[in-house]
Amino acid sequence: MAEINKKLLEHLADLSRLELTEDEETKFLGDLEKILNHCRDIKEVNTDGILPMTGGTRLKNIFRIDTDQDLAAEIIERENVKRAFPETEGDFLKVPPVFK
Amino acid sequence: MNLHDLTIKSFNAGLKDKNFSVAEVAKEYFSAIEEKDSGFHAYLSLDKENAYRQAATVDALVAESKPVPLLAGVPLAIKDNILIAGGRTTAAAKILENYLATYDAGVIKKLKSEQALFLGKTNMDEFAMGASTENSAFGPTRNPHDPERVPGGSSGGSAAAVAADMALAALGSDTGGSVRQPAAFCGAVGLKPTYGAVSRSGLIAMASSLDQIGPITKTVEDAAIIFRAIRGEDRYDATSSAYEYRSDFLNINQDAVKRMVVGVPDEYFGEGISNEVNEAVHKAITALGAAGVQFKRISLPRTRYALSAYYIVMPAEVNSNLARFDGIRYGHREMFNGTLIDLYRENKSRGFGTETKRRVILGTFVLSSGYYEAYYAKAQKIRQLVKQDFDKAFDKSQGEGVDVILTPTTPTPAFKIGEKTNNPLAMYMSDTLTSPASLAGLPAISIPVKGVTGLPIGFQLIGNYFREDDLFDLGMFYEQLISK
Repeated sequence: MAEINKKLLEHLADLSRLELTEDEETKFLGDLEKILNHCRDIKEVNTDGILPMTGGTRLKNIFRIDTDQDLAAEIIERENVKRAFPETEGDFLKVPPVFK
Repeated sequence: MNLHDLTIKSFNAGLKDKNFSVAEVAKEYFSAIEEKDSGFHAYLSLDKENAYRQAATVDALVAESKPVPLLAGVPLAIKDNILIAGGRTTAAAKILENYLATYDAGVIKKLKSEQALFLGKTNMDEFAMGASTENSAFGPTRNPHDPERVPGGSSGGSAAAVAADMALAALGSDTGGSVRQPAAFCGAVGLKPTYGAVSRSGLIAMASSLDQIGPITKTVEDAAIIFRAIRGEDRYDATSSAYEYRSDFLNINQDAVKRMVVGVPDEYFGEGISNEVNEAVHKAITALGAAGVQFKRISLPRTRYALSAYYIVMPAEVNSNLARFDGIRYGHREMFNGTLIDLYRENKSRGFGTETKRRVILGTFVLSSGYYEAYYAKAQKIRQLVKQDFDKAFDKSQGEGVDVILTPTTPTPAFKIGEKTNNPLAMYMSDTLTSPASLAGLPAISIPVKGVTGLPIGFQLIGNYFREDDLFDLGMFYEQLISK
Protein backbone atom coordinates (compact mmCIF):
# COMPACT_ATOMS: atom_id res chain seq x y z
CA MET A 1 0.00 0.00 0.00
CA ALA A 2 1.22 3.45 -0.82
CA GLU A 3 2.57 5.31 2.19
CA ILE A 4 1.42 8.70 0.94
CA ASN A 5 -2.28 8.87 0.09
CA LYS A 6 -4.23 11.88 -1.17
CA LYS A 7 -5.14 13.02 2.32
CA LEU A 8 -1.55 12.88 3.59
CA LEU A 9 -0.26 14.60 0.45
CA GLU A 10 -2.69 17.46 0.98
CA HIS A 11 -1.55 17.74 4.58
CA LEU A 12 2.12 17.77 3.54
CA ALA A 13 1.40 20.40 0.91
CA ASP A 14 -0.37 22.50 3.50
CA LEU A 15 2.58 22.23 5.91
CA SER A 16 4.87 23.19 3.01
CA ARG A 17 2.67 26.21 2.24
CA LEU A 18 2.00 24.87 -1.25
CA GLU A 19 -1.23 24.61 -3.14
CA LEU A 20 -1.17 21.75 -5.61
CA THR A 21 -3.34 21.50 -8.70
CA GLU A 22 -5.30 18.29 -9.36
CA ASP A 23 -2.71 17.32 -11.98
CA GLU A 24 0.17 17.95 -9.61
CA GLU A 25 -1.50 15.88 -6.92
CA THR A 26 -1.98 12.92 -9.24
CA LYS A 27 1.57 13.17 -10.52
CA PHE A 28 3.15 13.60 -7.08
CA LEU A 29 1.24 10.65 -5.59
CA GLY A 30 2.80 8.42 -8.23
CA ASP A 31 6.25 10.03 -8.13
CA LEU A 32 6.59 10.06 -4.35
CA GLU A 33 5.58 6.43 -4.08
CA LYS A 34 8.19 5.45 -6.67
CA ILE A 35 10.89 7.49 -4.92
CA LEU A 36 10.04 6.18 -1.45
CA ASN A 37 9.81 2.65 -2.75
CA HIS A 38 13.40 3.00 -3.89
CA CYS A 39 14.54 4.69 -0.68
CA ARG A 40 12.97 2.03 1.55
CA ASP A 41 15.95 -0.26 0.87
CA ILE A 42 17.76 1.49 3.74
CA LYS A 43 15.39 -0.23 6.15
CA GLU A 44 17.16 -3.55 5.53
CA VAL A 45 20.48 -2.19 6.86
CA ASN A 46 21.34 -2.87 10.48
CA THR A 47 22.24 0.48 12.01
CA ASP A 48 22.26 -0.53 15.68
CA GLY A 49 24.84 1.49 17.55
CA ILE A 50 25.64 3.72 14.56
CA LEU A 51 25.76 7.43 15.30
CA PRO A 52 23.88 9.60 12.81
CA MET A 53 26.09 11.79 10.62
CA THR A 54 24.47 15.13 11.11
CA GLY A 55 26.69 17.39 9.05
CA GLY A 56 28.96 17.31 6.06
CA THR A 57 32.08 17.94 8.00
CA ARG A 58 34.25 16.43 10.65
CA LEU A 59 35.45 19.87 11.67
CA LYS A 60 34.50 21.34 14.99
CA ASN A 61 31.81 23.95 15.17
CA ILE A 62 32.89 27.56 15.18
CA PHE A 63 30.95 30.06 17.24
CA ARG A 64 30.69 33.64 16.10
CA ILE A 65 30.49 36.59 18.40
CA ASP A 66 26.94 37.92 18.49
CA THR A 67 28.02 41.52 18.70
CA ASP A 68 30.37 41.53 15.75
CA GLN A 69 29.43 44.91 14.35
CA ASP A 70 31.93 44.81 11.48
CA LEU A 71 30.50 41.57 10.32
CA ALA A 72 26.96 42.85 10.38
CA ALA A 73 27.85 46.14 8.72
CA GLU A 74 29.79 44.51 5.95
CA ILE A 75 27.37 41.80 5.03
CA ILE A 76 24.09 43.56 5.50
CA GLU A 77 24.00 46.59 3.30
CA ARG A 78 20.85 48.12 4.66
CA GLU A 79 19.76 49.89 1.52
CA ASN A 80 20.40 46.85 -0.65
CA VAL A 81 18.31 44.66 1.58
CA LYS A 82 15.53 47.21 1.59
CA ARG A 83 15.65 47.37 -2.18
CA ALA A 84 15.24 43.60 -2.40
CA PHE A 85 12.11 43.84 -0.28
CA PRO A 86 8.99 43.99 -2.43
CA GLU A 87 7.09 46.60 -0.39
CA THR A 88 8.45 49.32 1.86
CA GLU A 89 7.21 52.52 3.43
CA GLY A 90 9.99 54.80 4.61
CA ASP A 91 12.30 52.60 6.64
CA PHE A 92 9.53 50.08 7.29
CA LEU A 93 9.13 46.79 5.49
CA LYS A 94 5.52 46.01 4.65
CA VAL A 95 3.89 42.60 4.92
CA PRO A 96 0.24 41.59 4.74
CA PRO A 97 -1.73 41.18 7.98
CA VAL A 98 -1.21 37.97 9.93
CA PHE A 99 -4.94 37.74 10.76
CA LYS A 100 -7.99 38.94 8.93
CA MET B 1 44.28 33.68 -30.71
CA ASN B 2 42.10 30.61 -30.60
CA LEU B 3 39.65 30.57 -27.67
CA HIS B 4 39.54 26.78 -27.76
CA ASP B 5 43.27 26.48 -26.97
CA LEU B 6 43.31 29.03 -24.13
CA THR B 7 44.05 27.77 -20.65
CA ILE B 8 44.52 29.97 -17.60
CA LYS B 9 48.31 29.75 -17.87
CA SER B 10 48.42 30.37 -21.63
CA PHE B 11 46.01 33.29 -21.20
CA ASN B 12 48.26 34.78 -18.52
CA ALA B 13 51.39 34.23 -20.65
CA GLY B 14 49.69 35.77 -23.70
CA LEU B 15 48.76 38.83 -21.66
CA LYS B 16 52.27 39.30 -20.33
CA ASP B 17 53.78 38.84 -23.81
CA LYS B 18 51.23 41.37 -25.08
CA ASN B 19 49.89 38.94 -27.69
CA PHE B 20 46.43 40.18 -26.79
CA SER B 21 44.69 42.38 -24.25
CA VAL B 22 42.01 41.30 -21.78
CA ALA B 23 39.53 43.55 -23.59
CA GLU B 24 40.21 41.80 -26.90
CA VAL B 25 39.72 38.36 -25.36
CA ALA B 26 36.57 39.46 -23.53
CA LYS B 27 35.21 40.80 -26.81
CA GLU B 28 35.92 37.47 -28.51
CA TYR B 29 34.06 35.66 -25.77
CA PHE B 30 31.06 37.95 -25.99
CA SER B 31 31.04 37.48 -29.80
CA ALA B 32 31.17 33.71 -29.32
CA ILE B 33 28.26 33.95 -26.89
CA GLU B 34 26.24 36.11 -29.28
CA GLU B 35 26.94 33.74 -32.12
CA LYS B 36 26.33 30.43 -30.35
CA ASP B 37 24.31 30.85 -27.20
CA SER B 38 20.92 31.21 -28.84
CA GLY B 39 21.39 27.53 -29.67
CA PHE B 40 22.71 26.36 -26.30
CA HIS B 41 21.24 28.77 -23.73
CA ALA B 42 24.15 28.42 -21.33
CA TYR B 43 23.78 31.97 -20.00
CA LEU B 44 20.90 33.62 -18.14
CA SER B 45 22.50 37.06 -18.07
CA LEU B 46 25.63 38.83 -19.26
CA ASP B 47 27.46 41.69 -17.61
CA LYS B 48 29.40 43.42 -20.36
CA GLU B 49 29.74 46.69 -18.51
CA ASN B 50 31.57 45.29 -15.49
CA ALA B 51 33.46 42.80 -17.65
CA TYR B 52 34.94 45.54 -19.87
CA ARG B 53 35.65 47.72 -16.84
CA GLN B 54 37.57 44.85 -15.27
CA ALA B 55 39.37 44.22 -18.58
CA ALA B 56 40.48 47.86 -18.71
CA THR B 57 41.78 47.69 -15.13
CA VAL B 58 43.90 44.61 -15.83
CA ASP B 59 45.05 45.92 -19.23
CA ALA B 60 46.26 49.11 -17.58
CA LEU B 61 48.34 47.12 -15.10
CA VAL B 62 49.82 44.98 -17.87
CA ALA B 63 50.61 48.08 -19.94
CA GLU B 64 52.63 49.42 -17.03
CA SER B 65 54.30 46.01 -16.71
CA LYS B 66 52.97 45.66 -13.19
CA PRO B 67 52.66 42.12 -11.87
CA VAL B 68 49.20 40.62 -12.17
CA PRO B 69 47.84 37.45 -10.54
CA LEU B 70 47.44 34.29 -12.60
CA LEU B 71 43.66 34.77 -12.72
CA ALA B 72 43.77 38.45 -13.68
CA GLY B 73 41.33 39.15 -16.49
CA VAL B 74 40.46 35.46 -16.92
CA PRO B 75 36.92 35.39 -18.37
CA LEU B 76 34.76 33.25 -16.11
CA ALA B 77 31.13 32.15 -16.16
CA ILE B 78 29.38 31.97 -12.79
CA LYS B 79 26.46 29.73 -11.94
CA ASP B 80 23.37 31.82 -11.20
CA ASN B 81 23.05 30.66 -7.60
CA ILE B 82 26.28 32.45 -6.62
CA LEU B 83 25.86 36.08 -5.57
CA ILE B 84 27.66 38.94 -7.29
CA ALA B 85 26.68 42.19 -5.57
CA GLY B 86 24.29 44.30 -7.61
CA GLY B 87 23.75 41.61 -10.22
CA ARG B 88 20.59 39.67 -10.93
CA THR B 89 20.78 36.27 -9.24
CA THR B 90 17.88 33.97 -9.94
CA ALA B 91 18.99 30.40 -9.18
CA ALA B 92 16.94 29.82 -12.36
CA ALA B 93 13.79 30.18 -10.25
CA LYS B 94 10.78 32.31 -11.15
CA ILE B 95 10.40 33.39 -7.53
CA LEU B 96 13.83 35.10 -7.74
CA GLU B 97 13.38 36.40 -11.29
CA ASN B 98 14.08 40.00 -10.32
CA TYR B 99 16.33 39.50 -7.30
CA LEU B 100 19.46 41.67 -7.19
CA ALA B 101 22.23 40.29 -4.99
CA THR B 102 23.01 42.46 -1.99
CA TYR B 103 26.57 41.22 -1.40
CA ASP B 104 29.40 39.22 -2.99
CA ALA B 105 29.68 35.50 -2.29
CA GLY B 106 32.88 34.47 -0.50
CA VAL B 107 34.24 32.90 -3.69
CA ILE B 108 33.45 36.05 -5.69
CA LYS B 109 35.33 38.22 -3.18
CA LYS B 110 38.32 35.92 -3.53
CA LEU B 111 38.15 35.90 -7.34
CA LYS B 112 37.80 39.69 -7.39
CA SER B 113 40.94 39.99 -5.29
CA GLU B 114 42.64 37.85 -7.97
CA GLN B 115 41.24 40.33 -10.53
CA ALA B 116 39.26 37.72 -12.46
CA LEU B 117 36.59 38.84 -14.92
CA PHE B 118 32.97 37.68 -14.90
CA LEU B 119 31.25 37.35 -18.28
CA GLY B 120 27.84 36.49 -16.91
CA LYS B 121 25.63 34.10 -14.96
CA THR B 122 24.83 30.62 -16.18
CA ASN B 123 21.70 28.54 -16.44
CA MET B 124 21.00 25.71 -14.02
CA ASP B 125 18.25 23.51 -12.68
CA GLU B 126 16.00 25.62 -10.46
CA PHE B 127 17.67 26.01 -7.05
CA ALA B 128 20.28 23.49 -8.27
CA MET B 129 17.77 20.64 -8.20
CA GLY B 130 18.17 18.37 -11.16
CA ALA B 131 20.63 16.48 -13.32
CA SER B 132 19.87 17.94 -16.74
CA THR B 133 19.30 21.74 -16.51
CA GLU B 134 15.80 21.06 -17.84
CA ASN B 135 14.30 22.27 -14.55
CA SER B 136 15.35 25.88 -15.20
CA ALA B 137 12.37 28.25 -15.06
CA PHE B 138 13.93 30.01 -18.03
CA GLY B 139 14.27 27.04 -20.41
CA PRO B 140 16.81 24.23 -20.77
CA THR B 141 20.46 24.38 -21.79
CA ARG B 142 21.65 22.14 -24.61
CA ASN B 143 24.81 20.05 -24.76
CA PRO B 144 27.39 21.59 -27.14
CA HIS B 145 28.50 18.09 -28.17
CA ASP B 146 24.96 17.23 -29.29
CA PRO B 147 22.21 19.86 -28.99
CA GLU B 148 19.55 17.13 -28.82
CA ARG B 149 21.03 16.07 -25.49
CA VAL B 150 21.18 17.57 -22.02
CA PRO B 151 24.40 19.12 -20.70
CA GLY B 152 23.79 17.46 -17.32
CA GLY B 153 22.95 19.41 -14.23
CA SER B 154 22.45 21.21 -12.19
CA SER B 155 25.49 23.29 -13.30
CA GLY B 156 24.65 22.59 -16.97
CA GLY B 157 25.02 26.20 -18.11
CA SER B 158 28.52 26.46 -16.65
CA ALA B 159 29.63 23.17 -18.23
CA ALA B 160 28.12 24.09 -21.61
CA ALA B 161 29.72 27.55 -21.52
CA VAL B 162 33.17 25.99 -21.02
CA ALA B 163 32.58 23.22 -23.58
CA ALA B 164 31.42 25.67 -26.27
CA ASP B 165 34.29 28.12 -25.61
CA MET B 166 31.89 30.73 -24.29
CA ALA B 167 34.00 31.05 -21.11
CA LEU B 168 37.56 30.07 -20.28
CA ALA B 169 36.38 28.43 -17.07
CA ALA B 170 33.36 28.50 -14.78
CA LEU B 171 32.08 28.03 -11.27
CA GLY B 172 29.33 25.58 -10.46
CA SER B 173 27.94 24.15 -7.26
CA ASP B 174 27.76 20.49 -6.36
CA THR B 175 25.37 18.94 -3.85
CA GLY B 176 25.13 15.35 -5.12
CA GLY B 177 27.06 15.61 -8.38
CA SER B 178 25.99 18.94 -9.91
CA VAL B 179 29.53 19.96 -10.92
CA ARG B 180 30.95 16.52 -11.76
CA GLN B 181 28.04 15.14 -13.78
CA PRO B 182 27.63 18.09 -16.20
CA ALA B 183 31.42 18.26 -16.56
CA ALA B 184 31.39 14.58 -17.57
CA PHE B 185 28.50 15.11 -20.02
CA CYS B 186 30.19 18.12 -21.63
CA GLY B 187 33.77 16.81 -21.77
CA ALA B 188 35.06 19.21 -19.11
CA VAL B 189 36.87 18.82 -15.79
CA GLY B 190 34.70 19.39 -12.70
CA LEU B 191 35.83 19.48 -9.08
CA LYS B 192 33.73 19.13 -5.96
CA PRO B 193 36.04 20.17 -3.12
CA THR B 194 36.13 18.65 0.36
CA TYR B 195 33.14 19.86 2.34
CA GLY B 196 34.37 22.98 4.13
CA ALA B 197 37.28 23.67 1.77
CA VAL B 198 35.40 26.45 -0.03
CA SER B 199 33.11 29.03 1.56
CA ARG B 200 29.39 28.67 0.93
CA SER B 201 28.70 32.27 1.88
CA GLY B 202 26.61 33.79 -0.88
CA LEU B 203 25.71 30.47 -2.45
CA ILE B 204 21.91 30.18 -2.51
CA ALA B 205 21.59 27.20 -0.20
CA MET B 206 20.07 23.94 -1.35
CA ALA B 207 21.28 21.29 1.12
CA SER B 208 23.72 22.92 3.49
CA SER B 209 25.54 19.83 4.73
CA LEU B 210 26.31 18.81 1.13
CA ASP B 211 26.67 21.98 -0.99
CA GLN B 212 30.13 22.97 -2.23
CA ILE B 213 31.18 25.42 -4.93
CA GLY B 214 33.68 24.06 -7.45
CA PRO B 215 35.35 24.91 -10.76
CA ILE B 216 34.41 23.57 -14.20
CA THR B 217 37.40 23.89 -16.53
CA LYS B 218 39.12 22.55 -19.63
CA THR B 219 42.08 21.05 -17.76
CA VAL B 220 42.91 19.67 -14.33
CA GLU B 221 45.54 22.38 -13.93
CA ASP B 222 42.93 25.10 -14.47
CA ALA B 223 40.71 23.45 -11.86
CA ALA B 224 43.66 23.45 -9.44
CA ILE B 225 44.37 27.14 -10.12
CA ILE B 226 40.77 28.16 -9.43
CA PHE B 227 40.50 25.90 -6.41
CA ARG B 228 43.66 27.46 -4.96
CA ALA B 229 42.08 30.90 -5.39
CA ILE B 230 38.65 30.17 -3.91
CA ARG B 231 39.48 27.79 -1.05
CA GLY B 232 40.07 28.84 2.53
CA GLU B 233 38.42 30.04 5.66
CA ASP B 234 35.67 32.62 5.49
CA ARG B 235 34.19 34.21 8.57
CA TYR B 236 30.79 34.22 6.90
CA ASP B 237 30.71 30.41 6.64
CA ALA B 238 31.22 28.69 9.97
CA THR B 239 31.86 25.34 8.24
CA SER B 240 34.70 26.71 6.09
CA SER B 241 38.16 25.46 6.98
CA ALA B 242 41.59 27.03 7.29
CA TYR B 243 43.22 23.74 6.29
CA GLU B 244 46.83 24.22 5.21
CA TYR B 245 47.30 22.65 1.80
CA ARG B 246 50.73 21.97 0.36
CA SER B 247 51.71 25.17 -1.39
CA ASP B 248 52.94 23.77 -4.69
CA PHE B 249 50.00 21.72 -5.79
CA LEU B 250 50.21 23.01 -9.34
CA ASN B 251 53.40 21.01 -9.82
CA ILE B 252 52.80 17.31 -10.25
CA ASN B 253 54.48 15.24 -7.62
CA GLN B 254 55.61 12.45 -9.97
CA ASP B 255 57.02 10.34 -7.15
CA ALA B 256 53.76 10.58 -5.23
CA VAL B 257 51.84 9.43 -8.30
CA LYS B 258 54.12 6.42 -8.74
CA ARG B 259 53.68 5.51 -5.10
CA MET B 260 49.92 5.98 -5.17
CA VAL B 261 47.54 3.10 -4.75
CA VAL B 262 44.33 3.71 -6.66
CA GLY B 263 41.27 1.82 -5.47
CA VAL B 264 38.72 0.56 -7.97
CA PRO B 265 35.48 -0.29 -6.17
CA ASP B 266 33.39 -3.14 -7.61
CA GLU B 267 30.15 -1.43 -6.66
CA TYR B 268 30.70 1.39 -9.15
CA PHE B 269 30.98 -0.87 -12.18
CA GLY B 270 27.89 -3.00 -11.73
CA GLU B 271 24.28 -2.89 -12.77
CA GLY B 272 23.08 0.20 -14.60
CA ILE B 273 26.52 1.22 -15.89
CA SER B 274 26.45 1.33 -19.67
CA ASN B 275 28.99 -0.64 -21.70
CA GLU B 276 30.42 2.47 -23.31
CA VAL B 277 31.08 4.06 -19.90
CA ASN B 278 32.58 0.83 -18.57
CA GLU B 279 34.88 0.50 -21.56
CA ALA B 280 35.95 4.14 -21.55
CA VAL B 281 36.79 4.16 -17.84
CA HIS B 282 38.77 0.94 -18.19
CA LYS B 283 40.66 2.58 -21.01
CA ALA B 284 41.76 5.31 -18.59
CA ILE B 285 42.68 2.68 -15.97
CA THR B 286 44.75 0.77 -18.54
CA ALA B 287 46.57 3.93 -19.63
CA LEU B 288 47.43 4.86 -16.04
CA GLY B 289 48.39 1.28 -15.20
CA ALA B 290 50.75 1.11 -18.18
CA ALA B 291 52.43 4.26 -16.87
CA GLY B 292 53.15 2.62 -13.54
CA VAL B 293 50.17 3.63 -11.38
CA GLN B 294 49.15 0.82 -9.01
CA PHE B 295 45.53 -0.25 -8.83
CA LYS B 296 43.73 -2.24 -6.19
CA ARG B 297 40.28 -3.77 -6.36
CA ILE B 298 38.25 -2.67 -3.34
CA SER B 299 34.71 -2.86 -2.04
CA LEU B 300 32.53 -0.04 -0.69
CA PRO B 301 29.55 -2.23 0.26
CA ARG B 302 27.20 0.47 1.53
CA THR B 303 27.42 2.42 -1.74
CA ARG B 304 24.20 0.76 -2.87
CA TYR B 305 22.30 2.55 -0.10
CA ALA B 306 23.93 5.94 -0.64
CA LEU B 307 21.49 7.22 -3.24
CA SER B 308 18.53 6.41 -0.99
CA ALA B 309 20.13 8.16 1.96
CA TYR B 310 20.94 11.11 -0.29
CA TYR B 311 17.35 11.44 -1.51
CA ILE B 312 16.16 11.59 2.09
CA VAL B 313 18.81 13.83 3.67
CA MET B 314 18.90 16.28 0.77
CA PRO B 315 15.15 17.05 0.47
CA ALA B 316 14.98 17.46 4.25
CA GLU B 317 17.59 20.20 4.03
CA VAL B 318 16.01 21.65 0.88
CA ASN B 319 12.76 21.89 2.76
CA SER B 320 14.26 24.02 5.49
CA ASN B 321 16.45 26.15 3.19
CA LEU B 322 13.66 26.98 0.77
CA ALA B 323 11.26 28.05 3.50
CA ARG B 324 12.72 31.55 3.16
CA PHE B 325 11.40 31.99 -0.37
CA ASP B 326 7.91 33.08 0.51
CA GLY B 327 7.43 36.40 -1.26
CA ILE B 328 8.35 38.39 1.84
CA ARG B 329 12.03 39.21 1.51
CA TYR B 330 13.16 38.73 -2.05
CA GLY B 331 12.09 40.06 -5.37
CA HIS B 332 8.65 40.20 -6.81
CA ARG B 333 5.39 40.15 -4.84
CA GLU B 334 1.92 40.10 -6.29
CA MET B 335 -0.42 42.82 -5.02
CA PHE B 336 -2.32 40.97 -2.44
CA ASN B 337 -5.40 41.17 -0.24
CA GLY B 338 -5.18 38.02 1.87
CA THR B 339 -3.29 37.20 5.06
CA LEU B 340 0.37 36.43 5.45
CA ILE B 341 -0.11 32.70 5.16
CA ASP B 342 -2.16 33.10 1.98
CA LEU B 343 0.70 35.15 0.57
CA TYR B 344 3.24 32.40 1.31
CA ARG B 345 1.01 29.84 -0.34
CA GLU B 346 0.35 32.04 -3.34
CA ASN B 347 4.01 32.92 -3.92
CA LYS B 348 5.45 29.47 -3.37
CA SER B 349 2.84 27.79 -5.53
CA ARG B 350 3.40 30.21 -8.40
CA GLY B 351 7.12 30.76 -7.91
CA PHE B 352 8.38 27.17 -7.54
CA GLY B 353 8.72 24.69 -10.39
CA THR B 354 7.51 21.08 -10.25
CA GLU B 355 10.79 19.51 -9.11
CA THR B 356 11.21 22.08 -6.34
CA LYS B 357 7.69 21.41 -5.08
CA ARG B 358 8.27 17.67 -5.23
CA ARG B 359 11.45 17.91 -3.12
CA VAL B 360 9.94 20.34 -0.62
CA ILE B 361 7.03 17.95 -0.06
CA LEU B 362 9.35 14.95 0.14
CA GLY B 363 11.37 16.87 2.73
CA THR B 364 8.26 17.68 4.74
CA PHE B 365 7.35 14.00 4.66
CA VAL B 366 10.70 12.57 5.83
CA LEU B 367 10.85 15.13 8.63
CA SER B 368 7.29 14.68 9.86
CA SER B 369 6.35 12.99 13.06
CA GLY B 370 5.82 9.27 12.53
CA TYR B 371 8.17 9.10 9.54
CA TYR B 372 11.22 10.95 10.88
CA GLU B 373 12.83 7.91 12.56
CA ALA B 374 12.20 5.54 9.67
CA TYR B 375 13.47 7.93 7.01
CA TYR B 376 15.50 10.94 8.11
CA ALA B 377 17.16 9.51 11.23
CA LYS B 378 17.82 6.21 9.48
CA ALA B 379 19.30 7.98 6.44
CA GLN B 380 21.72 9.90 8.67
CA LYS B 381 22.98 6.59 10.05
CA ILE B 382 23.36 5.21 6.53
CA ARG B 383 25.32 8.34 5.71
CA GLN B 384 27.68 7.47 8.56
CA LEU B 385 28.10 3.93 7.16
CA VAL B 386 28.84 5.27 3.67
CA LYS B 387 31.51 7.48 5.22
CA GLN B 388 32.93 4.57 7.21
CA ASP B 389 33.34 2.55 4.00
CA PHE B 390 35.44 5.34 2.54
CA ASP B 391 37.41 5.77 5.78
CA LYS B 392 38.26 2.09 5.72
CA ALA B 393 39.36 2.24 2.08
CA PHE B 394 41.72 5.15 2.81
CA ASP B 395 43.00 3.75 6.12
CA LYS B 396 46.69 2.84 5.76
CA SER B 397 47.05 0.76 8.89
CA GLN B 398 43.85 -1.24 9.15
CA GLY B 399 42.04 -0.71 5.86
CA GLU B 400 42.80 -1.00 2.17
CA GLY B 401 45.27 1.87 2.28
CA VAL B 402 44.34 3.44 -1.04
CA ASP B 403 45.17 7.08 -1.78
CA VAL B 404 42.55 7.75 -4.41
CA ILE B 405 39.45 5.91 -5.62
CA LEU B 406 38.69 5.78 -9.34
CA THR B 407 35.15 5.25 -10.67
CA PRO B 408 32.98 6.32 -13.59
CA THR B 409 31.35 9.73 -12.98
CA THR B 410 28.00 8.85 -14.53
CA PRO B 411 26.23 5.60 -15.42
CA THR B 412 25.69 6.73 -19.04
CA PRO B 413 26.80 9.53 -21.36
CA ALA B 414 24.48 12.54 -21.86
CA PHE B 415 20.86 11.52 -22.37
CA LYS B 416 18.30 13.07 -24.71
CA ILE B 417 16.37 16.20 -23.79
CA GLY B 418 12.98 15.15 -22.45
CA GLU B 419 14.06 11.53 -21.92
CA LYS B 420 13.76 11.59 -18.12
CA THR B 421 11.63 14.63 -17.34
CA ASN B 422 8.55 12.55 -16.59
CA ASN B 423 10.38 10.03 -14.46
CA PRO B 424 12.02 11.72 -11.49
CA LEU B 425 13.42 8.47 -10.11
CA ALA B 426 15.25 7.80 -13.39
CA MET B 427 16.62 11.35 -13.24
CA TYR B 428 17.75 10.80 -9.62
CA MET B 429 19.70 7.71 -10.73
CA SER B 430 22.09 10.12 -12.50
CA ASP B 431 23.52 10.87 -9.04
CA THR B 432 24.24 7.21 -8.17
CA LEU B 433 28.01 7.45 -8.57
CA THR B 434 28.52 11.01 -7.35
CA SER B 435 26.30 11.24 -4.27
CA PRO B 436 28.37 8.86 -2.06
CA ALA B 437 31.39 11.21 -1.97
CA SER B 438 28.99 14.10 -1.30
CA LEU B 439 27.44 12.31 1.66
CA ALA B 440 30.89 11.60 3.07
CA GLY B 441 32.11 15.16 2.37
CA LEU B 442 35.10 13.92 0.33
CA PRO B 443 36.73 15.77 -2.58
CA ALA B 444 36.03 14.35 -6.03
CA ILE B 445 36.89 15.38 -9.56
CA SER B 446 35.52 14.31 -12.94
CA ILE B 447 38.04 14.15 -15.77
CA PRO B 448 37.18 13.42 -19.42
CA VAL B 449 38.47 10.08 -20.73
CA LYS B 450 40.72 10.96 -23.66
CA GLY B 451 40.31 9.32 -27.03
CA VAL B 452 36.62 8.50 -26.68
CA THR B 453 34.68 8.68 -29.92
CA GLY B 454 31.14 10.01 -29.70
CA LEU B 455 29.76 11.61 -26.58
CA PRO B 456 32.16 12.61 -23.78
CA ILE B 457 32.60 10.25 -20.82
CA GLY B 458 34.19 11.16 -17.51
CA PHE B 459 35.95 9.21 -14.81
CA GLN B 460 35.81 10.29 -11.21
CA LEU B 461 38.67 10.43 -8.72
CA ILE B 462 37.65 10.54 -5.05
CA GLY B 463 40.30 11.56 -2.52
CA ASN B 464 40.64 11.59 1.23
CA TYR B 465 39.56 14.68 3.21
CA PHE B 466 41.46 17.81 2.10
CA ARG B 467 43.56 15.78 -0.34
CA GLU B 468 42.57 17.63 -3.49
CA ASP B 469 46.31 17.63 -4.23
CA ASP B 470 46.20 13.85 -4.83
CA LEU B 471 43.38 14.35 -7.32
CA PHE B 472 45.34 17.08 -9.12
CA ASP B 473 48.56 15.03 -9.17
CA LEU B 474 46.91 11.97 -10.65
CA GLY B 475 44.64 14.00 -12.94
CA MET B 476 47.46 16.11 -14.39
CA PHE B 477 49.60 12.97 -14.71
CA TYR B 478 46.80 11.40 -16.79
CA GLU B 479 46.39 14.48 -18.98
CA GLN B 480 50.13 14.69 -19.69
CA LEU B 481 50.32 10.98 -20.36
CA ILE B 482 47.63 11.17 -22.98
CA SER B 483 48.85 14.34 -24.66
CA LYS B 484 52.33 12.83 -25.14
